[in-house]
Amino acid sequence: MSQAVVDRLRAQFGERLLETSHAFGGHEIVVADKDWVEVAQFLKEDGELQMDHFIDLTAVDYPERPSARFDVLLLLRSSVNGGRIRVRTRVDEGQELGTVSGVWPGANWAEREVWDMFGIGFSGHPDLRRILLYEEFIGHPLRKDYPIDRAQPLVPYREVEEIDKLPPFGIEEGQPFARIDWEARLAGGDNQVSPAIGLQQGQRRALSDSEAALQIQKRLAAKAKAAATEATSTEATKEGQGD
Amino acid sequence: MEPADELLQQESALELQAEPMRLNMGPSHPAMHGTVRMVLDLDGETIVNLDLQPGYLHRGFEKSCERGTWAQVFPYADRLNYVSPMLNNVGWSLAVEKLLGIEVPERCQYYRVILGELSRIADHFTCNGASAMELGAFTPFLWLLKVRDWIWDVLEKETGARMTHSFGRIGGMAAPPTADFKDDLRALIPEVHKVVKEAEIMLIRNRIFLDRMQGVGILSKEDALGYGCTGPVARASGLPYDVRKDYPYMVYDRFDFDVPIGEDGDNWDRFMVRLEEIRQSVRIIEQAIEQMPDDGPVNVDDPRIVLPEKHDVYTTIEATIAHFKLVMEGLQTPKGEVYSFTEGGNGELGFYIVSDGSGTPYRVRVRPPCWFNLAACREMLIGEMIADIIPTFGSINMIGGECDR
Amino acid sequence: MPTFKLDGREISFEPGETVIQAAWRVGIEIPHYCWHPGLSVAANCRMCLVHITSGRQMAMPQLERDEETGEYVPSTKPKLQPACQLAAEENMEVSSTSDVVKEAQASVQEFLLLNHPVDCPICDQAGECKLQDYYYSHQATLKRKLTEPVHKPKGVRFGPTIVYDAERCIMCTRCIRVCDEVAHDHVLDMRERGNKAEIILAPGRELDHKYTLMTEHVCPVGALTSSDFRFKARVWFLKSAPSVCTGCATGCNSHADYDPRYGKVYRLRPRDNPDVNKFWMCDDGMMTYTRHETDRLLMPTAGRGDEREPVLDDEALWLAAEQLRKVEASKLAVVLSAQHTTEDNVALVKLAQALGAGHLYLAALGGWEGDDILRSDDNNPNRAGAIQAAGGTQLKTVAELLTEVQAGVVQGVLALGWATAERLEELAPLVALETVVSLTSHVGALPAVASVAIPVADIYEIEGCFVNDKGMAQAFKPVLPAPVGVEPGWKAIAALASQLGHDLGFQDLQALRQGLTTDVEAAQ
Repeated sequence: MSQAVVDRLRAQFGERLLETSHAFGGHEIVVADKDWVEVAQFLKEDGELQMDHFIDLTAVDYPERPSARFDVLLLLRSSVNGGRIRVRTRVDEGQELGTVSGVWPGANWAEREVWDMFGIGFSGHPDLRRILLYEEFIGHPLRKDYPIDRAQPLVPYREVEEIDKLPPFGIEEGQPFARIDWEARLAGGDNQVSPAIGLQQGQRRALSDSEAALQIQKRLAAKAKAAATEATSTEATKEGQGD
Repeated sequence: MEPADELLQQESALELQAEPMRLNMGPSHPAMHGTVRMVLDLDGETIVNLDLQPGYLHRGFEKSCERGTWAQVFPYADRLNYVSPMLNNVGWSLAVEKLLGIEVPERCQYYRVILGELSRIADHFTCNGASAMELGAFTPFLWLLKVRDWIWDVLEKETGARMTHSFGRIGGMAAPPTADFKDDLRALIPEVHKVVKEAEIMLIRNRIFLDRMQGVGILSKEDALGYGCTGPVARASGLPYDVRKDYPYMVYDRFDFDVPIGEDGDNWDRFMVRLEEIRQSVRIIEQAIEQMPDDGPVNVDDPRIVLPEKHDVYTTIEATIAHFKLVMEGLQTPKGEVYSFTEGGNGELGFYIVSDGSGTPYRVRVRPPCWFNLAACREMLIGEMIADIIPTFGSINMIGGECDR
Repeated sequence: MPTFKLDGREISFEPGETVIQAAWRVGIEIPHYCWHPGLSVAANCRMCLVHITSGRQMAMPQLERDEETGEYVPSTKPKLQPACQLAAEENMEVSSTSDVVKEAQASVQEFLLLNHPVDCPICDQAGECKLQDYYYSHQATLKRKLTEPVHKPKGVRFGPTIVYDAERCIMCTRCIRVCDEVAHDHVLDMRERGNKAEIILAPGRELDHKYTLMTEHVCPVGALTSSDFRFKARVWFLKSAPSVCTGCATGCNSHADYDPRYGKVYRLRPRDNPDVNKFWMCDDGMMTYTRHETDRLLMPTAGRGDEREPVLDDEALWLAAEQLRKVEASKLAVVLSAQHTTEDNVALVKLAQALGAGHLYLAALGGWEGDDILRSDDNNPNRAGAIQAAGGTQLKTVAELLTEVQAGVVQGVLALGWATAERLEELAPLVALETVVSLTSHVGALPAVASVAIPVADIYEIEGCFVNDKGMAQAFKPVLPAPVGVEPGWKAIAALASQLGHDLGFQDLQALRQGLTTDVEAAQ
């Protein structure tokens, strides 16, 4: 069944179907990023294919590649004939891909997740904001260059005006369990930082490290002093004895 | 009409203002399964708009998978849909086995089917029980969870854990079935039937329950398709899609079972589809008990994939090396990309895995069924009353561990 | 070039090359234990057996079991040949993956594991052991022989650096050949035969030449372990970064194996470079990593003797600048370091020029013996680079500096590095000077007599290049992050310069490298 999907697409798009492959029981086609929405539209609306069941949209990061860093994948199924297909395109960092959320509404959340996790933008998306992480999160964690143990700074309280879509709890609201003087804290610029961040940003290094070095220095210096003033000190001792 | 109401009608100046009110529901709300926040725009009690905000339980499942070995994903997979962890275990096993191009022995396939269906029953019991409880029917909830405990007794005996089993292995299972596995199941099945019947008597002719469930939270078939809904939610909307039937895996093509579907796509249909699926799962288990061989290997015979016996590991160098390689470096997979999907508790549970040929996954994408079901929840709720959020949200069975990952 | 076919792939070879060597050159590994590209051929492990499918076939008689009758019937099987000893020939067709070869590989592997102890959990080689790798890729069966294995001596001390475990040994004789062919010292040999064979020391000797750690390096299993690395770390936790040895002017290329969790280097391994060190490093070079974390200077200090106190970074710069201003430019001595990178030295020369300081000196280590194998006569990795930085002129020594201090020609010193050949006592004249500013990564004689000591990053923490005794510039990258607040030398020098009111005109390494005679970029 799925081979028929590939054949139909080949007939329709010809050379614009960059690659086709079949491995591990799944058929895959690769299209250029500019053809992405058109191919998606065709897959859904073509009377023969009828890929109406949205399955998934996700991405894979290949930072080693010289260009087109990300693979974006669209997984589809037809509820009519049971055919399945995987569509792949490659986009570069900072490049936007057309949205398919107009074709399948389920792509709305999936594309938001890809934006959230990989930082791949989707032009024409009605509501592209982070979905699993919060607005203030720095970076896109599923990128390969995001270290798994990176700590994020503690988020200060949001101002209501800043994000009109997400009315936050007010400073005095929603914290019945802790009597923290938030106004004073914010006014004083108390930049809350988690212990892990503290280490990363560089607290003064522990004195104990250098104390050992200091001891050695002192010892060596004392020896140097002794050696340098050997002659005079010998005389001084004699004089002392004389007194 | 009360005199005060008459007065209100006359005095137009007393009309309530028409601007929608914004209300936060969640993320910590007693009726919100898991932690999900809903920002509601209300016109009176009617929902005119809502913004669903998941992510409060995000633990970085996909990122975590990228730093362990293939086998180390099992405990994470347990904690996706933690109400039916065995289905996730089996799903992950099958995904990696598809990549390796191996098939586990028949006995193991039946074993996986039975444990998986037991998990599915527990999952559906939990969801339906919670739905009833949230509408005030506490007794059915306790009854249904009672059976869930019996099922967990069996699972505990088999796997050693009641919830997060981590029992799946690539190329087999952690242990073979216990000697009285089949007897335990034969004793359990009549009890399950009995409780399903009792739950039906208690609930399906209950006026309050019917009013809250029927015609509420309707999801059309087109929306179900477009939103990527699968599992009971999609089937309740009249989409007859069940991976076990449409793309049979393991030995599901050898069983005689039906896929129940709904007509209206409302809460009631979702409730009834789950109730019927419990019966169908029991049917599968009954047939599987008869067909499952009583002896024979459970794991594939390859020390490059399956851990050797502990006794061998301690006494022979070959087994030590095999153990060492599997634990420290992970089993070596061929390069490639696989999408493997099974029927989870909430629908199509897919694992899209990319292997760079090493012992560690390059990328693991889990297609969480309730992620897409939750996205469709907006369609169900707009236009409904605020009180309808509770049964509707309950009936899509959002599991935070799977949805947020 | 003539070619032959290995598993269907065309491989070109130099006449006289063996099959395994030609394959190794293009990156194909035919499994092997005893063969090493830098050593002579022994052909005793039998792991590299291949099947020559072209030409006249050699056959071996064998008895084959007939499964139906249960009787053994005579038949033949192809005669396999060791790829390490087989000279490649034009148009030869070789198979290293056919069924008969695979069976041979599995059999050899099983044979080598027959009496192997269950040591992986306590063996330092685990994780980089060829027995483990080849078990997984070529054997993958469980044990058939379930009798007691042969026991042999364990934990034998071969010398100050090496411990030998005869049970783990597969008798590949690589260690014997390393001693013979690299160190030219026949101190190891083999005795007995069959499963009783073991490696022994020459009577009355210890394994104590200058290249003993190479025996451990070439050992494909855990039979030889280094006393230094033994039980210190598990290799799968270590990460590896390319580095250059600081032991002598040869500049051997090395891998620095470090644990990213603790920011600690655990060992060095030679990195193949046919132009410099081939496959080898000497013991002293292998141990240079220990310098990294011992006696580090982590905080700036000011004052001498008992008055020496830690000071803040800014205070140290300010103090150093104040003291340097007091010295007349013509009486200021600037001491370069043969232990620091060329870039650090260039930056210091620029500062000296900006200040107008006339006297340039070079501090270098001494007391070292070279040989004609790898070890240079000079145990400073970058004497040539420092001289290059100073414009190619010969630099005065620290001994000359001391004389000039005593003569009153020099009244202030700005020194880079801790390394001098002179002992602390000999540096006593410097204590009399008010201004001795030291930029140093470690505590040592020079910093000990300094009035202000400013910490700089160590060699594993910076990017830079060394010029070895052949004039080759070898660049390297940082392995570990520098301690918080500690900058590379050239940055510290730039900071000191700006404190003194000079802009040295460089912002990064690229700018520093401009005008150097050797092409650093090419070295990278």
